Amino acid sequence: MSTDHEFFLMQLADSFFPSGMFGMSNCLESLVKHKKIKNDKDVLNFIEQQIEFQLVPCDCMIFLTAMNSAKNNNIEELVEADNRFYSMRLISEVRNASVRSGSQILNCVIQITHDREENKIARQFQKKILSDETPGTYPICLGIAANLFGIPEESGVRMMLYSFSQSVVAAAIRLGVIEHISGQKILSLLSSKINSISENIKKEPLDNLWQLTPLTDIFQMIHEYDSSKMFIT
Amino acid sequence: MLSKNKKIPKVGIGGPVGSGKTRLIERVVPVLIDRGYRCCIISNDVISKEDAQRMQRVLSTELKVMPENMIIGIATGGCPHTAIREDPTINLAVIDEIEKKDPSLDLIIIESGGDNVMTTFSPALADYFIYIIDVAGGDKYPRKGGLGIESSDLLVINKIDLAPNVGADLAIMERDAKKIRQEKPFVFVNCQTGEGIDYVAENIIKSILFDKKPIAKKDRTK
Repeated sequence: MSTDHEFFLMQLADSFFPSGMFGMSNCLESLVKHKKIKNDKDVLNFIEQQIEFQLVPCDCMIFLTAMNSAKNNNIEELVEADNRFYSMRLISEVRNASVRSGSQILNCVIQITHDREENKIARQFQKKILSDETPGTYPICLGIAANLFGIPEESGVRMMLYSFSQSVVAAAIRLGVIEHISGQKILSLLSSKINSISENIKKEPLDNLWQLTPLTDIFQMIHEYDSSKMFIT
Repeated sequence: MLSKNKKIPKVGIGGPVGSGKTRLIERVVPVLIDRGYRCCIISNDVISKEDAQRMQRVLSTELKVMPENMIIGIATGGCPHTAIREDPTINLAVIDEIEKKDPSLDLIIIESGGDNVMTTFSPALADYFIYIIDVAGGDKYPRKGGLGIESSDLLVINKIDLAPNVGADLAIMERDAKKIRQEKPFVFVNCQTGEGIDYVAENIIKSILFDKKPIAKKDRTK
């Protein structure tokens, strides 16, 4: 089995990769502020709930669709999946953050693979963004990038779930809810769940997308109008 | 191959909290607008959009020199340096939106609060970098160096009226600034009286707007 993709997997999953994720708490800030999350157990529970009820049934499906569509040069399907995901982001600051992050990931990937013919679909999709035919959300652009770098689907899903978890943990540390060792413990405790999901997840039709995180949505709405905040979401 | 976002010239203004970044912008922007240049401001703030809201009040509501939607606040998640240096993606995304909305703008000013002297802007984000300190930090400030003080295109030393009250010797600051910056310019500024403001505006015009003549006021709509 080729391991050529592994370096790119680490590059994309690295918090140093310019995607703006350092500015996202994924609603944690609002939940902490309103004392819904107080300690490491709460942080772990929050991540697990978000993975189960948001990322797996929706974000990961969109990501896998994007990988598949990019592989098959199916620009129409990319646009459709992108618009569906965008319409499912109920809170405007979450929508905007996803689009800003996604378009910048795509731009970065196109520039660093400028000499590769395979990035044609990425360039096509970027043109669709620039002409307002599609928004360019995060999981779609990440899926295009993952396909371009030859990352297998299973590893791609693992990367996506890890990046999300790492982003929440980093926010929790900065918000002072947990300290650095607890952060690493949380990530370690998530490993078996994330590995199991990654091994078993299968792409499903776009009509099967769903999400159910009402508490997060409500507190994200509150965050949107908060006058004092550290994080974009 | 490493293309930069160069469509509208961009000035980055960085410096420690309380050094007067926001006030400097409030003073310089009316001068630029009076000279016929149209500006947009992005304010990176660590924990709120307070600076952006203040500039909206001063520049849009009170002075009426620019529309409120041309002053945009970004909360940077406690990582102001990251947002302008190693991962400027959110700022770049906002700039893309601005350039799409109004490509005829002459200048985008990006303000970012920092908490140390190592602040710099990514070359992808700013074409011209102003670093601002104030005399209340002591007259040792310029000679301590740091990327901001040493590498910025213009060093602004603000609040010079406070020098006698805090025991800061401006002659020492001038000597050290000259030594550490060599040929690069610096200026003493008093944002309260406006002293030094024209010099800052002139340097911005001369350095990054040199090939772009402002459109006559009568020919543009705000």
